[in-house]
Amino acid sequence: MISARIAIAVALLAPALALGQGVEDGESKISNDDPGRPLQMSPASTEVKEALDDFERFQRRGAWERALKALYTIPDDQALRFVDGRDGFIIPVARKRREVLAELPPEGRAAYRLFYDAEARKLLDEAEGDDEQAKLERIHSAYFTTSVGDDAADRLGDLYFERGRFDRAADCWLSVLRDHPDTNLSPATLATKAALALHRAGRMSEFDELRAELEDRYRSETVTLGGRSAPPAELLASLLGDESPGAGSRADLIKDEAPLKLDSSIEPDWMVPIADSIEAGMTAAELNQWRSSPLSDATPSSSIDGSRLHVNFLGHILAIDLETGKLLWRSAAFHNLETLVNQPGARMTNPEQFTILAREEFLWCATRDLKDQNYNASFQLECRRTEDGEIVWKSSDLPELAPFEPTGAPLWNDGTLFVAAESQQNQPLPGQWVLAIRPRDGKLIWKTQVGSFRQSRQRFYYGQRQPTPRPRLLLDAGSLYIDTQIGVLARLDADSGTLEWGFGYQTAPTQGEIHFFSPYQQTQPATTGGGPISLGDSLLVKGAQSSRLYVVDPNRMTLEWERAIGKSARPLGADERSIYLGGDDLGSLDIQTRNLSWATRLPGGSGLGSVLVRPDGIRQMTPRGVFEIDPETGDVRTILRGADLGSAAGGDVLLTAERLITVSNRAIAAYPRGGDAPPTPKEKTPR
Amino acid sequence: MTPPLVSPPGAEPSRFRPFRRVVAVLAMLAASAGSTSAQYGLTPGFPHNIEGLTVIGKGSASAAPDLAEIDLDVSASAELTSDAIVKFRDAKKRVVEAFEGLKLPNVSIVERGLLVDQKGAVANPYYIDYNATQKAKTEVQLSRKLVVKMSGLREMDEDAALQLVGRLLDVAQDAGARVGPPAPNPYYNVVYYRQGGGMDLVRFVLEDFDQLQEQAYEKAVADARERAERLARLSGVKLGPIVAVREISAASSNRLIMGGMEPPDAEEEAPDRRLESSKLRKIPVRVELQVRFEIHPTAQGGDQAKAPAQ
Repeated sequence: MISARIAIAVALLAPALALGQGVEDGESKISNDDPGRPLQMSPASTEVKEALDDFERFQRRGAWERALKALYTIPDDQALRFVDGRDGFIIPVARKRREVLAELPPEGRAAYRLFYDAEARKLLDEAEGDDEQAKLERIHSAYFTTSVGDDAADRLGDLYFERGRFDRAADCWLSVLRDHPDTNLSPATLATKAALALHRAGRMSEFDELRAELEDRYRSETVTLGGRSAPPAELLASLLGDESPGAGSRADLIKDEAPLKLDSSIEPDWMVPIADSIEAGMTAAELNQWRSSPLSDATPSSSIDGSRLHVNFLGHILAIDLETGKLLWRSAAFHNLETLVNQPGARMTNPEQFTILAREEFLWCATRDLKDQNYNASFQLECRRTEDGEIVWKSSDLPELAPFEPTGAPLWNDGTLFVAAESQQNQPLPGQWVLAIRPRDGKLIWKTQVGSFRQSRQRFYYGQRQPTPRPRLLLDAGSLYIDTQIGVLARLDADSGTLEWGFGYQTAPTQGEIHFFSPYQQTQPATTGGGPISLGDSLLVKGAQSSRLYVVDPNRMTLEWERAIGKSARPLGADERSIYLGGDDLGSLDIQTRNLSWATRLPGGSGLGSVLVRPDGIRQMTPRGVFEIDPETGDVRTILRGADLGSAAGGDVLLTAERLITVSNRAIAAYPRGGDAPPTPKEKTPR
Repeated sequence: MTPPLVSPPGAEPSRFRPFRRVVAVLAMLAASAGSTSAQYGLTPGFPHNIEGLTVIGKGSASAAPDLAEIDLDVSASAELTSDAIVKFRDAKKRVVEAFEGLKLPNVSIVERGLLVDQKGAVANPYYIDYNATQKAKTEVQLSRKLVVKMSGLREMDEDAALQLVGRLLDVAQDAGARVGPPAPNPYYNVVYYRQGGGMDLVRFVLEDFDQLQEQAYEKAVADARERAERLARLSGVKLGPIVAVREISAASSNRLIMGGMEPPDAEEEAPDRRLESSKLRKIPVRVELQVRFEIHPTAQGGDQAKAPAQ
């Protein structure tokens, strides 16, 4: 009797135990649908998820017609929405559909072709003239598994290659090699073409892998390309010739190999005081009022273009001659700043949101008028002439841009300005957007919503100001990456703005919206987040609110490794062996062992400001001068005290051909860099 | 037997009768305690025998500090304990190496105990934020206090001492150490403080001050005798020998912790035989003694006292 009761109890409890285990396992998985995550990419509807579940269920039973019908009940507008993929990636429904179709067993594939070959062939036949690319893309997206899917992908690859989109061309040919095993096309030819495209796109780890395959697997075959016939590896070598790998169009990858020698005793070539200019003539009460405002600690945003340095300090735009330090023009004087910064509207202003970028004859700055006492007054994007500071356009005057508020530093590439922005109007909660803008006139080229915030902006009226994470952009090989810093890294096509995928990473959960007082926390340096940073073909990601570091392969869409790290850590740079991290300390993480090699605590920490990471040393501005750190050991080699000590939290370090520029809330100073100067002016990515 | 619930008019309910006895006993005890207190309340802390002449003598002697101390805090925190250990090891190494690099024979570093705790949000006692603690992810934190000691201060002039102290402070900060006492918690500051402001960077110390103390005692006794002689003369009595001495205040550690907010740590507590000052100056040793002298009538008796000289 007792044993029967035990058996019944075990039978009843077993499902509960199994359920409990499942929940525990699921907790570590990042899901786009998790309501605790601050940002959600446009989710697919419940019907879509049910359709995918139905497909799985019918597929297991071998009911192919019903299974495939379930997949194709997904409407076209839902095909662009997002579902959870593998390894934390969040992928469009269309991609998910292609993935499940590519994994069909032979009988399923046969059934699929029976139902959809005709439709795909019809599209392929229609793919001529102006519609060619669109039709081929449609086949590649929706009918890739049909018997003509490989032909369409091959033709689409050729099209992209001709248009210089080597990354996309490589993806088309690789998709045939990987996901279309029964293709009637020559795998050797496809692999050769894909290797060529990968080389030109700068995706070298994939290129090396494919070249090894050409030398081994296809060595006995002959491939004809461009009128030349040869074994694939030989043909590839002859086609590449001395061509150096493409570096894509990565905006922050500017190499400056010329030496930089810091000497502790060097004097500045010139200095433009900021704090002293503001504080001149203040009474003791005014000085106290000014210094008690967090805005007085703000480091100005800066951007170098040619022979000029442009600065945005709390909406005051300055142009400085890099050779002489002469102030060329300024948008407004610093008078009465101490009064403005203590007004209620300014207290809610995040100083990090003032950004600037200068290129050619224009500069673009995110700014707001401190005189505007509206708590919710938004920042706007302004375009000015670098010559005289004249305003060319303002986003608030342009109907296409007016609904958006710029939230991160803009990125310029080849005549297009990319801006991370939040939507302002007609939505219950703001959305994270990326805008591509024509720089001269502010015309919107495309706009893409990356996701919707699950919380409104946090505001701290009193108490400790916590830096709000600012999204960061990276352009690489035709792809635009945005790290929202709150749990999602997303990839967009830089030409069209198509949102390709997202990568969800661990981040702090949503919090309340308005804090009249901020909760007390132990005193620790604030950090602004960093990255994403290129590690060869991979990307290093660490959100500002995340306690994990991720390395992802954005092309293979795999998570290479992840590691726990302090929440305050932020990636600063990387070389072949090490990843350099800021935060409470400046540290070096060995890429092979993933162990912390060394850590150096600098005065004021390493949580804010841009740090110059070079093979010959790491330079960081601190309140006690510019510290030069040995990247091998972390030892402090030199301290350049400089002429602008006492900054609130260090500042930014910039490098030009002739000078090292430090930018802080105290001053802008230029020091001779020593050694032989490089031939052209260089610059780090603007803050 | 159950007592009746209803009592006759004018009679107390029987269930209250036992309490009457208790109240009477308490009243007697209270009265007795009051009379005891009255006996001692008039002269608390004073000897009952007030014969003789009692005076307070004060003496002080001072000397320049011979030691300067700087408290440093080396700490590291990380999500992974192994990272925290690397960070802490490097942080301590860099501080120690920086001071060793100075090659100053009179500078040494003393390590205090290693504290292993956690870094993260702390509940704010003055602000109700129910989720603050749950939201905060804790990190392992290792911290250790280092005390940099600079001896031979007395042999230096003020400028040289200042230069050296400044150099030590610069080296400590450049090496990434936090100088001075822990960062203040704005909420606790309301109820807790250290004497002298508590934010001093350097502590000037006088150790081994026996000889100085001896001088201060001598001066205090001499001062007491002088005062007593004056009183005796004016009172028309003759001063006899000292019959009792009581220390009112004597040289000791000048640190004071208020409010019991910080439990004393045996290791952190300042040793008894030292005097500390936050200022570079001569540190005084002050002694205050209550001295009672015997008195004897003079030849004129008490008449002189009753009729002082016109």
